[in-house]
Amino acid sequence: MGLIQREIEKAGIATVGVTIVREYTEKVQPPRSVYLKWPFGHPLGEPGNVKQQRAVVLEAFKALYGITTPGEIVDLPFRWRRHDYESYEEPDNLSPGGDKQ
Amino acid sequence: MSITNRFKNRLIAKVITRYPSLAQRFISAYEPWESGEAVPWAPPQKPLAECTLAMVTTSGVHHSTQEPFNMQDSEGDPSFRAIDGATIGSAYKITHDYYDHSDAEKDLNIIFPLQRLQELQQEGVIGQLADTHYSFMGHIDGRHIATLIGQAAQEVVKRLKRDQVDVVLLTPA
Repeated sequence: MGLIQREIEKAGIATVGVTIVREYTEKVQPPRSVYLKWPFGHPLGEPGNVKQQRAVVLEAFKALYGITTPGEIVDLPFRWRRHDYESYEEPDNLSPGGDKQ
Repeated sequence: MSITNRFKNRLIAKVITRYPSLAQRFISAYEPWESGEAVPWAPPQKPLAECTLAMVTTSGVHHSTQEPFNMQDSEGDPSFRAIDGATIGSAYKITHDYYDHSDAEKDLNIIFPLQRLQELQQEGVIGQLADTHYSFMGHIDGRHIATLIGQAAQEVVKRLKRDQVDVVLLTPA
């Protein structure tokens, strides 16, 4: 996935990827990633868990604007099946120079 | 690849999904392609609320009517499928023997969060969601890596540009 991401970014389109295998991502070095230590087949979480899926998507967007070092991987603090998404605070400034990591 | 081999791959996929620590062996044994080139860098120039966004996934999802990815080739299938955001939710298939997709069959959003993006578009968080997204099967190896980078990825880039996409969210499996 990181290889495709690099090609898209090379063409001038901004990219952010969700990864569940940190080791691959460290080697391939796509421009921006958020990492979750979650099982294969579940990069956005569990079926039907809308709040969880939404939080991952929003954290990816936060990283899209917040990462300033090419190749950086943000480790998300969401623990598999043990995180309470009720207290998740959504980013409110998804724009260049907005939310910093 | 033989039917026995496909069965074996699916079995391994189920086991490592349930017991992630066992996956470490497979991850360490895998040598990803390393370019040595600088990391490409094109940060977004506009707020997300003014951007057109598309998704690219390597989860092997496709429309039921599309040709499935080729699972017979042990080096993978480097082709892609164009995904119509308006209809994918109603009839999709996942062709990928290397991970357990039974949960993704219950809820596509855990690998391809289209409904979440549609909600964010309605709320004005995302400016515009592209009509078309792109799906690969991932797990590409050997000779197909060059095809993936040199051909399939370039075709997808061309289409993203045509659709005036500003931002791409990538999701694996």
